[in-house]
Amino acid sequence: MPELRKDPLIGRWVIIATDRAKRPMDFAASRDEPVPSGECPFCEGQESRTPKEIIAVRNGSSANQPGWKVRVVPSIKPVLRIEGELNRRAKGMYDVMDGVGAHEVIVETPQHIAHTADLPLEQIHLSLQATMQRIADLERDPRLRYALWFKNYGSVAGAGRVQHARSQLIATPVTPLRVKEELAGTRRYFEDKERCLVCDLISQEQEAGARVVMSTPHILVLCPFASRFPFELWIVPKRHSCDFQAMQPEEVADLAAVLKELLGRLKAVLNDPPYNALLHTAPFRQPRKTGYWKTIVDDYHWHIELIPRLTRVAGFEWGTGFYINPTPPEESAKYLREATVAATAGAH
Amino acid sequence: MSEIRRDPIIGRWNIIDTDQPLGPDGFEIDRQSPGGAKCPFCYGNEAMTPPELYVLRPPGTAPNSSGWTLRVVSNKFPALKIEGELNRKGIGIFDLCNGVGAHEVIVESPDHQRQMADLSQEEMTQVITAFKARSLDLRGDKRFKYTLIFKNYGLAAGASLEHSHTQLIALPIIPKRVQEELKGSERYFEFRDRCPYCDMLDQEMQERERVVFENNSFAVFCPFMSNFPFELWILPKEHRSDFAQITPEQIADFAQILKESLGRVRGALGDPAYNFIIHTGPIESREREEYHWHLELMPKLTKVAGFEWGTGFYINPTPPELAAKILRESV
Repeated sequence: MPELRKDPLIGRWVIIATDRAKRPMDFAASRDEPVPSGECPFCEGQESRTPKEIIAVRNGSSANQPGWKVRVVPSIKPVLRIEGELNRRAKGMYDVMDGVGAHEVIVETPQHIAHTADLPLEQIHLSLQATMQRIADLERDPRLRYALWFKNYGSVAGAGRVQHARSQLIATPVTPLRVKEELAGTRRYFEDKERCLVCDLISQEQEAGARVVMSTPHILVLCPFASRFPFELWIVPKRHSCDFQAMQPEEVADLAAVLKELLGRLKAVLNDPPYNALLHTAPFRQPRKTGYWKTIVDDYHWHIELIPRLTRVAGFEWGTGFYINPTPPEESAKYLREATVAATAGAH
Repeated sequence: MSEIRRDPIIGRWNIIDTDQPLGPDGFEIDRQSPGGAKCPFCYGNEAMTPPELYVLRPPGTAPNSSGWTLRVVSNKFPALKIEGELNRKGIGIFDLCNGVGAHEVIVESPDHQRQMADLSQEEMTQVITAFKARSLDLRGDKRFKYTLIFKNYGLAAGASLEHSHTQLIALPIIPKRVQEELKGSERYFEFRDRCPYCDMLDQEMQERERVVFENNSFAVFCPFMSNFPFELWILPKEHRSDFAQITPEQIADFAQILKESLGRVRGALGDPAYNFIIHTGPIESREREEYHWHLELMPKLTKVAGFEWGTGFYINPTPPELAAKILRESV
């Protein structure tokens, strides 16, 4: 069973793999030859290479057989395990609990296609719906506090050796530090102004225009003012809502189209860069102390962060949590605004 | 002049290079600079760097010429610039200020081929002495609130130059990561009237299973909550919040333990890229009872991916007990 250990100074939890502990030579071995498509566990016909599916979009075909469009399976190498109790305890000055949680993979296509931008729009749309459904389901597990949906593309971004379009969902038994900071920041702003910080940010950015990349009826894409990384992007719903899984059907359709277009532009402008995408949404709101979630519905606004991995995080960033970004977001936004996916048409 | 901008949500400041912005084609510099004629840190190329700020050189050699054994210069492409005022201002909900600060490079030896782990005890002692001297000197500038000393070794750890060097940045703000540590220590101290690092050191020295080795003044261990495989912390045994107060005797011990730690990491892991960072208290006149300076060393073996970015929550595939055992047995 993996362990969750808490940093006694800054309160950050770490997942320590105690089962499949890696030794020095294991790190050298992970230098990455891509897995050939015939051995890809996420391709149609290879269903037996993954644990049994949790949900799938199928037209009458039976579970764990070919004939699906989108499939959600438990991770082959889960970082947290779904069975068992948390078993919170102390070791001297340290805090530990068992690594209970969920780790799922959302396979976006039955075909061996690596990049989400190259999928038909319908596949992206169905994948988003499957993600919403899974988050809503995990929220019912009283042991879990938060679900992070994320996507790693390319070896540098941690995608490993399998080049098949997918995203992941990890549900944790604690609210992660990064999420708490954001919640505290938006709550403080709300207490001050009785307005949502992100709603204010949307209106300011739309007025200024310099950092806006795309604007559709329901979604705004921008390069944030204090971007940590070159070409960092935020995808924000225009309608105020704290829960990603509460999106309306027309919003889901719009988001799918935005993702396809935006990922296509990124691929064209930056020559197919590795990237990470991650969802910031409200934590699971089980009853806590009275009034704990009092204003979250009003003060928090879900969004997706997209980070192309162009620079390396080094000592300065690790030491300070302060980033050096060589490309002003106004420049990044300009390049991405002016890009057309027609530029990639030749690649299809 | 670059800008320092604040994230309105979590309060993190970032440095944005508005002077020489990199466009989409700027990111393919995936090679380290070779040695010899092109390396600004080799003998004969002193003119390629800004003038030296601190140097060890035999009598009779001219400043900014060959013959030195250690050299500190300003970074030629600084993330922050030393001239100018902070000029804090707001734009709507956003805050920003000018990118004022110091960015220096400590060139540890004239030899392009030698890594920091290869330095002699005496050379390493001189490097640590230079860290101290530069920290103390920058303190004279009232605009600065924090000094960070760090090293990037290897391409994967962000080193663009191959020639062994350490960097020093002085900042006009106390960075977020440091504030978190200071706040966490204060909270712990309020409750117990003890420094959390002193407690940690006590518990580690008793349990022993995460300790790699120790000398008179320092101990090195793999922390209980290591974020990364084979992460190492070097802690001074004597409580002190400010690295720059290190005594000559402690400098020698620190040089010894750092050299030994780097050597063991190389021995056990086959020359991985790494970062190390000296965590110290902010620039201020008081000694903090609750904070304890230390060095964190992180070999780059795993990739930080979406989960870590989204949660600030790390997945470490090597328990620190196992890492410590392997490093104890490494020579």
